[in-house]
Amino acid sequence: MEDEEIEKTVFAYLKKKGFWQTERTLQNEQSRASSASQSEGGISRPEKGPQQHHDGYSKLRSWAYGSLDLYKHELLRVLYPVFIHCFMDLVAEGYMQEARTFFQTFREDHEMLHLRDLQKLEGILCPSHLEEMELARSLRQSKVVIKLCEYSCNLLLQYLQKTQSFSMLGVINEHINFEVSSGQPVSISDDSDVVALVGNNQDMAKQINQKEVRWGLLEDSIEERLEKTLSDSEKVEGENKEIDLDDIKKRSADGGRQGSSSKKLKKDKVVGTVGKCARSETSIISLAPRVKAELALPTMPTEVEQSILEDLRNRVQLSSLALPSVSFYTFINTHNGLNCASISHDGSLVAGGFSDSSLKIWNMSKLGQPAKAGSMQGENEYPHNETFIGHDEGKRSYTLFQGHSGPVYSSSFSPTGDFLLSSSSDSTIRLWSTKLNSNLVCYKGHNYPVWDVQFGPFGHYFVSASHDRTARIWSMDRIQPLRIMAGHLSDVDCVQWHANCNYIATGSSDKTVRLWDVQSGESVRIFIGHRSMVMSLAMSPDGRYMASGDEDGMIMMWDLSTGRCVSPLIGHNSCVWTLAFSCEGTLLASGSADCTVKLWDVTSSNKASKMDENKGSSGSKLRLLKALPTKSTPVYTLRFSRRNLLFAAGALSKSC
Amino acid sequence: MSIVPKETIEVIAQSIGIASLSSDVALALAPDVEYRLREIMQEAIKCMRHSKRTVLTADDVDSALNLRNVEPIYGFATGDQLRFKRAVGHKDLFYIDDKDVDFKDVIEAPLPKAPLDTAVVAHWLAIEGVQPAIPENATVDVLPVPSESKKLEHGKDDGLAVDIRLPVKHVLSRELQLYFDKITEVTISKSKSVIFKEALASLATDSGLHPLVPYFCYFIADEVSRSLNDLPTLFSLMRVVQSLLRNPHIHIEPYLHQLMPSMITCIVAKRLGNKLVDNHWELRDFSANLVASVCRRYGHVYHNLQSRLTKTLLHAFIDPSKALTQHYGAIQGLAALGPNVVRLLILPNLETYLQLLEPELLLEKQKNEIKRSEAWRVYGALMCAAGRCLYDQLKMFHDLLPPPNQPVFKHNGKVITVKSDNKRKSPANQSNSTQQMPLKKVAVDGSVGSMSNMSTAPKLQSATDGLGNNQSGEPGLRTSTSSGRLSNESIPGGSRKEMGISRAPKAHTVLSQAWKEDLDAGHLLASLFELFGEGIFSFMQPPELNVFL
Repeated sequence: MEDEEIEKTVFAYLKKKGFWQTERTLQNEQSRASSASQSEGGISRPEKGPQQHHDGYSKLRSWAYGSLDLYKHELLRVLYPVFIHCFMDLVAEGYMQEARTFFQTFREDHEMLHLRDLQKLEGILCPSHLEEMELARSLRQSKVVIKLCEYSCNLLLQYLQKTQSFSMLGVINEHINFEVSSGQPVSISDDSDVVALVGNNQDMAKQINQKEVRWGLLEDSIEERLEKTLSDSEKVEGENKEIDLDDIKKRSADGGRQGSSSKKLKKDKVVGTVGKCARSETSIISLAPRVKAELALPTMPTEVEQSILEDLRNRVQLSSLALPSVSFYTFINTHNGLNCASISHDGSLVAGGFSDSSLKIWNMSKLGQPAKAGSMQGENEYPHNETFIGHDEGKRSYTLFQGHSGPVYSSSFSPTGDFLLSSSSDSTIRLWSTKLNSNLVCYKGHNYPVWDVQFGPFGHYFVSASHDRTARIWSMDRIQPLRIMAGHLSDVDCVQWHANCNYIATGSSDKTVRLWDVQSGESVRIFIGHRSMVMSLAMSPDGRYMASGDEDGMIMMWDLSTGRCVSPLIGHNSCVWTLAFSCEGTLLASGSADCTVKLWDVTSSNKASKMDENKGSSGSKLRLLKALPTKSTPVYTLRFSRRNLLFAAGALSKSC
Repeated sequence: MSIVPKETIEVIAQSIGIASLSSDVALALAPDVEYRLREIMQEAIKCMRHSKRTVLTADDVDSALNLRNVEPIYGFATGDQLRFKRAVGHKDLFYIDDKDVDFKDVIEAPLPKAPLDTAVVAHWLAIEGVQPAIPENATVDVLPVPSESKKLEHGKDDGLAVDIRLPVKHVLSRELQLYFDKITEVTISKSKSVIFKEALASLATDSGLHPLVPYFCYFIADEVSRSLNDLPTLFSLMRVVQSLLRNPHIHIEPYLHQLMPSMITCIVAKRLGNKLVDNHWELRDFSANLVASVCRRYGHVYHNLQSRLTKTLLHAFIDPSKALTQHYGAIQGLAALGPNVVRLLILPNLETYLQLLEPELLLEKQKNEIKRSEAWRVYGALMCAAGRCLYDQLKMFHDLLPPPNQPVFKHNGKVITVKSDNKRKSPANQSNSTQQMPLKKVAVDGSVGSMSNMSTAPKLQSATDGLGNNQSGEPGLRTSTSSGRLSNESIPGGSRKEMGISRAPKAHTVLSQAWKEDLDAGHLLASLFELFGEGIFSFMQPPELNVFL
């Protein structure tokens, strides 16, 4: 601006004074200068153009592939960020066609590790999409951190300087942070960072993961009390057995359990005695440190406590050599409408959420009995217009809960089995009473479909996950959420409580799992490593480990305190819908869309991880103990009863 | 550039009433359309996953549209697949085939069946980690590999490499049981029918028979021991054995030890069938060939198979107390095993044996006609075996009988045709060489005279026996199983002269040269000549004979 003004005044001055010759020469000079600058631009323009990106990348690629074997894998890691940023640069500059061809040419290299992201990025076709798409935006904004050893970093820089490939240098400078470490290159297997370089500010993740997680179990837990009582009652063992017998009688008398559940009961008893013998070795749980509860927990009614204690006493000790019995509940005639299933802690109730907005509950202990219409009818008198109890036709084997106005995506029983929560695409969560067979509360808070809802380990509190990218904590007595956990970059697909109630874990479509502090509502851990949407989560009963399963069939074990992956479990070849730890934490069961239930030995991994810490070698694979194929029934849910009987449920699908 | 071509945009614009959409606009819209499509699909996939499905449905897309606050599209029920049709005149323009439905039809159509209501059934997927074999569970065979690998793993972990083999309980399918019953029935009762031939063919070719092999072995062993007097049954049993051996899908080695005794029985049994009526010689020959083929095929697997067999046969051969029929079987069995066996086992005993046999051959000394004819049989078999051995020796000289096989094969048919004239000739030969031979005997036996040509004899007899099916089966069989034998067999017959005539001049000098070198062969011939007289010459060609003599 100033220059122009000066020029103007100069011209004005020259005109006024009549120095027209000087004026002309000045004009000439000016025009020459401007044309020169234009031509300069004309030269530099094509250099920055699409072809250069293409050539630069292909050269870098062939150089990286031809580099020394020892450093090759490190250098290859650099290629992916360079690739996507080159592509996005091209798009941003408006070279759609070139961007497309560039993408297609080199796509194959990265398909193995980054297929899902590539599929998303492929859709970017104009600069505005870059702004709009979450993934692209976060990629553009954040810098990728890549670990390199000193030598590979030198190699790379030398190459870039020697070949004068400034476009590549620019991309690398702009989007990649090198974390140079002296010494030998890191081993290939330690590439979880590479996989996860996507879309996250890694510094932030690292910072978050520095925070302390007190993963210990609650003080004065029921298990602890049991240990105490057991040590006391060791002497009066005989008495206990009598009580057991009495209990059986009592139950068979009033419960009238038939069919599978009576079998199950016997089974429980039989193996229960075995378990008692094996009790002498103290369970892992007792080893875990103790923490105070940060939430005010509800007090447990004494009779419930008694029954839980009873169950704990009769628990089967599971290990790699003593596998659990699995009772499978198959939904038939679902007409592809079953969206979710859940099983109560004692396995007697099974709920199914359907895409026609209905929720149906089967009482498995009464299965096969003629419906006792009379007694149920009495309960039907509780007036609630939203609820229709399925006995008006007299024949239905289930209780029908109607109230939602969209597909029901998740349901969860309270620990005592009195309540049932369901979440739906109508963005509400409903609380149902299984005693009254009616809807009690409708919780409105989410703005989009609620994918998952889970009762806390002690009831009363529950947590929900939604398409609106938040997870919310609720208590039964309030219709407003107590906490909102926001931070995920995409849908929150699944949630799980930590054993001590102080944390919740959420799995998301952004391929990460986060751990949140319930009290503060802050994210305390980010677990990066999955390559696709996280579908299922499970917490080990000792509170130290977490398992997460994804869309591709991979299961990862995480150590909560370090925030690192203990070991990936590879075996499923389709979505892992559900995960469950056995009660003493020795086994992990996984259910998948590939119609199998798999049992994994978790103790070996724990040992291995401990050894890992000493040796520093790459993690060993967890052992697959057993694959139990079902008859074309994808496994929707798994639940270990307190006695360590495994319940599984799924819908028979013909196309499977 | 984008997957959605600008033409599509133009078409869509036209369909919603925008007639003139400039191509620039279409070009600009296309990438955005693609992006939105991808966005919706991404949401739809999320909905699909949360509905715990692995197949995307129209409902999922509807839900995704809902999520994006787009009005859902109606009219796409998930029930049936959309049928796209190509627009006429356009290469890549498709439309949905929307059929007109008559309202009346819809109203008058009967109500569809009410769908079954959802129910839950419970079963044990596993009991303490083991899947019970109940219909609700998937068949265990689907995943056999992991269980095996797991077993291995277990073994390693526990440090116990004990291989515990559970008693295998195998179940025969109903079909196989029926098959077995049918085959056994046909074998026993209808061995002359066409069905039996079909059954044999089926046994020789069907692939799913392996589970039945042990049953067949048992059946054969059982039936052979039971029906030693019933020649047709024995014969059909041997044919069953032959078919089983031929079947390429059957792994028969483990069962050979069960089959061999039956076969050997059919070779060297004292009595097979009714002596007077039945032609048990043929069965012995057949079984001998069968055993020999087994030895050839499985000899390398069971190294002591042949040695045990020859031991058994040799015992039968050199034991003078055994019946002549047994001797005959043993000789045939050994002969079928090849010339080397003959040279090693028969020839050393030949002289003493012939001394023993001689009284049986003579009319004066052996009054029993049957015994005498048996003796002649044995004599013939011996001569044939020795002759073949000799032939084999001669064959060892390269160029000596250069192309004998081909012409012989060609003349195979001819051999049979010349039988009659051969028959006439052979007795003549015989009578010349062995003057003791009574002419009457020739007349009685019909073909005893042609003992030097044993291959023709059974054939003739089988024809007369009325075993028509055998007749047709046999020549082919022999061609396939033992070519060497064929060549041997036929030489004495029709081809003798032709070969002699055609090759004599050329081979003449070569032969004389070679023969002088090989003293063994010479000695052999000499000794055989001593023992058998001129009958042995039928195994070689006259010119060579001349040279030698």
